[in-house]
Amino acid sequence: MKVVLENVTKRFPNRDKKIKTEVTAVNNVSFTIPDGKLIGLLGPSGCGKSTTLFMICGLHKITEGKIFFGEDDVTNLSPENRGVGLVFQNYALYPHMTVKQNIMFPMENFKGEDKLTKEQMLERTMEVAKLVQLDGLLERKPSELSGGQQQRVAIARALVKMPRVLLLDEPLSNLDARLRLQTREEIRRIQRETKITTVFVTHDQEEAMSISDEIVVMKDGVVQQMGVPQTVYQDPANLFVAKFLGTPPINVFTGKVSGGALYIGSEKIMATPGVIDQDVYVGIRPEGFVVNDNGVLTCDFRQVETMGGFMSVVSTHENSENPIIRSTVTDEVKIAEDAKTVKFDIKPNKIYIFNKETEERIRIEG
Amino acid sequence: MVNSKHQWKAWIYLAPAIAVLLVFTVWPIFNTVRMAFLENYSGLEATNGATFSFGVGNFVKVLKYKRFISCLKNTMILCVLTVPISTILALLIAVGLNSIKPLQKILQTIFFLPYVTNSIAIGMVFAAMFNIVGAFYGTENELIVTAGIINNVIEFFGGTPVNWINYGSQYSANIAVMTVYIVWNALPFKILVLLGGLQSINKQYYDAARVDGSSRRRIFARITVPLLSPMLAYVVITGFIGGFKEYTSIVGIFGENMGPADDAGRLNTMVGFIYDSLSTNSQGRASAAALILFGIILVVTLLNLYVSKKKVHY
Amino acid sequence: MNDVKMETMSEKDMRRVAIRQAIVKGLVKFGVYAFLIIMALIVLFPFYWMINSSLKTLDEYRMSVPTFWPHKVMISNYASAYKTANLGKLFVNTVIVGVVSTILSLVITVLSAFAFARLEFKGKDMLFAGLLATMMIPGELFTITNYGTVTQLGWTNTYTVLIVPFLVSVFYIYLLRQNFLQIPNELYLAAKVDGTSDLKYLWRVMIPLALPTLISITILKMMGAWNSYIWPRLVANDAAHRLITNGLRNAFTETTGDVNYPVQMAAVALVSLPLFLVFVFLRKYIMQGVSRSGTKG
Repeated sequence: MKVVLENVTKRFPNRDKKIKTEVTAVNNVSFTIPDGKLIGLLGPSGCGKSTTLFMICGLHKITEGKIFFGEDDVTNLSPENRGVGLVFQNYALYPHMTVKQNIMFPMENFKGEDKLTKEQMLERTMEVAKLVQLDGLLERKPSELSGGQQQRVAIARALVKMPRVLLLDEPLSNLDARLRLQTREEIRRIQRETKITTVFVTHDQEEAMSISDEIVVMKDGVVQQMGVPQTVYQDPANLFVAKFLGTPPINVFTGKVSGGALYIGSEKIMATPGVIDQDVYVGIRPEGFVVNDNGVLTCDFRQVETMGGFMSVVSTHENSENPIIRSTVTDEVKIAEDAKTVKFDIKPNKIYIFNKETEERIRIEG
Repeated sequence: MVNSKHQWKAWIYLAPAIAVLLVFTVWPIFNTVRMAFLENYSGLEATNGATFSFGVGNFVKVLKYKRFISCLKNTMILCVLTVPISTILALLIAVGLNSIKPLQKILQTIFFLPYVTNSIAIGMVFAAMFNIVGAFYGTENELIVTAGIINNVIEFFGGTPVNWINYGSQYSANIAVMTVYIVWNALPFKILVLLGGLQSINKQYYDAARVDGSSRRRIFARITVPLLSPMLAYVVITGFIGGFKEYTSIVGIFGENMGPADDAGRLNTMVGFIYDSLSTNSQGRASAAALILFGIILVVTLLNLYVSKKKVHY
Repeated sequence: MNDVKMETMSEKDMRRVAIRQAIVKGLVKFGVYAFLIIMALIVLFPFYWMINSSLKTLDEYRMSVPTFWPHKVMISNYASAYKTANLGKLFVNTVIVGVVSTILSLVITVLSAFAFARLEFKGKDMLFAGLLATMMIPGELFTITNYGTVTQLGWTNTYTVLIVPFLVSVFYIYLLRQNFLQIPNELYLAAKVDGTSDLKYLWRVMIPLALPTLISITILKMMGAWNSYIWPRLVANDAAHRLITNGLRNAFTETTGDVNYPVQMAAVALVSLPLFLVFVFLRKYIMQGVSRSGTKG
């Protein structure tokens, strides 16, 4: 079941009752979620991703635009009729019911020809419980479960009605670091097995990058870029996307294009055929630096940090927008401890230039 | 270090409270029990030097006393009628209030109004409302015409007026009026508590249930009521306890006569019985009745607690 | 598990479902409002009827077809009511009793709640539990003995008998103690280190912070004095000490038969007015005080 958002906008009345203008949480967003894929809605807090999710679910009314499930216009359909499953950030497990009752609850709401017998309901409950590895916990109450277990119950409850779309709101944010890694793999495994179109919301780019088939990056209610994670990482559409993805974060410099070449400070970094002269932002991924005594970029050396097989060279530069520049290099590189400067070559596919005003990416031909 | 000073200080702070409580709360508990077991105890006779034997004679006498049985019956009937009606009504109103945004504050205020009224004063208003229309006999020979809005409304819709509370009225009519009045008085507190309970239920549970496809009725029955059950239990228990102590509302409607003009004391309750015995200086009888009342309240409360243990979700 | 998907609905069906949803939602909303407004009118009706009746002449009141607003507005009924029921004296009595008992009660309640909340002493928990236990016992049990006690003390028909027995309400001590417990203990310890005496700390810190609860208690206690009937009737029934509810009821002993209802209603209105004013201005405190007893279960 693919999900299509068409010019979807959501406006809220301002929380301060005196201000008449509304707050636009989601602004004219359009994208298509392909059937059977796991999509990550990614962005900083307040960017509108949760609001978008709730509109897909039906808990928020859409101010403008349409939403389609497949060919059906569900814009005005209330959540109970959309056939979606939602996993809340705080799980929202019914505290007075056991795990089994929680999971069975959605099935008891089936009407007409979808109605199931008690045996069928139990059978499905067991299936789903096994899928999320909850067997043995069915008679417990939510308060007797750990965070990770509660979350699996929430997922089971959403899955048991075989939804057309499965939605997860920040599923990993309430878990400790160790569980997070484990659970995100679980989510991917479950999605692969059930093949249900799944959308999850997160502010953690690493999480989104690692398990999504595609990611949608949002900021201030607007979609910045959508695509396969690796593509979005390697080919960012604007400075925000470039800065948001990647650990350690991208290193940003101010620079200038002049005469078909890019300069940072007075150093010529590379050729930029076809690009008009302008001031630009330059983003260089940490892994884009190659230490070379004849390199094109000279930075003031600070220190070297080693972590296992990786070395980070920490330096500064007067044109750097970040307080420090972090370059990850292999540990075979040797730099004298008392060196004042370090020179780098830049890998051409790890450097990006952006328009200084609009912050849009300037792509170089050839 | 500071502790010993604390001890001393604490007792000084508590001294006035403890003094008053000892005299007017603790001592009465023992004394009332004592008097209950002193057969035929009368305060008046006691001061004149009479002695009394120790035994359960008071209890036996009370339980066989016709007046007591009638008071017990009235109390029970009113309890059984008013507690369920007022609880269910309060629940419906609270749920209704919880679901609307505009007008909620105003309506909440209106529903709370009966709580701040004087039970006896407004009782007089209800009495005026339920009076009968047309000619009737004030006493054996007087012919009086009075107006009562309730009967006016009944006549307006084509029914025959009912003699609710006047001379010659039926017991069932009296009980009906008392039920209406007691429920009217009981609603505000119940609505307040239940509405508070409803508002404390996390909205996310409703959202989750909606996404799960539940109809409004299902949400109410499977989510709202169970999560509200602690409040409901509290309201029912206090409702019963209050119901057993019903007295002033009857005075409000019928006056000290405690019944229609031709049958004084017909609507008297247990508490009324205790006070009547007091004023005739039969403290033994009053104490026994009071202990019986306390016993009944205790049993009913324990029953309620037992039921709530099984059905209430905390 | 993978093959079953929900039936896809055509666009026309979709629209029909959406419309039906909207209609049902609208009906339900309408039904809820209708129910609430009808109930609210029922609740309000006695008040309206009281005012309406109080302003009528006796003849108009007795008309077989009632009027919904008096044709001739008889404000004089209020004056008659005031005189007949001697409301002036009753009012004074009740205010005296109310004010004195509230002030004394507040002092005792504050001291006791403070002791339970902040001070450590042997037997504290047991004492508190014992106090709570007494809340379960119906008041009538106490009344029987107390009647005898106050008679022996010769307190009948005085103000004292109306004030003293009710100075201590375990419920209010409990309520205030809960409130005190919520004030961080660090404030107390800091004040101690600064050498503040307990009473000063109470006065400058705890009482201001617990003010809403104290106001609720004050209001509820004053209302209690205003509405009290049984005890005053029993022990202080003479004209010099009669309280207002008692006086009201017994100035108009008949409720059936030949009664001047309008005047009676006027009296009721006069007696209810102060309560109503308190409610209008201080409703927040009353409702908080009452509901706190509810949420603590």
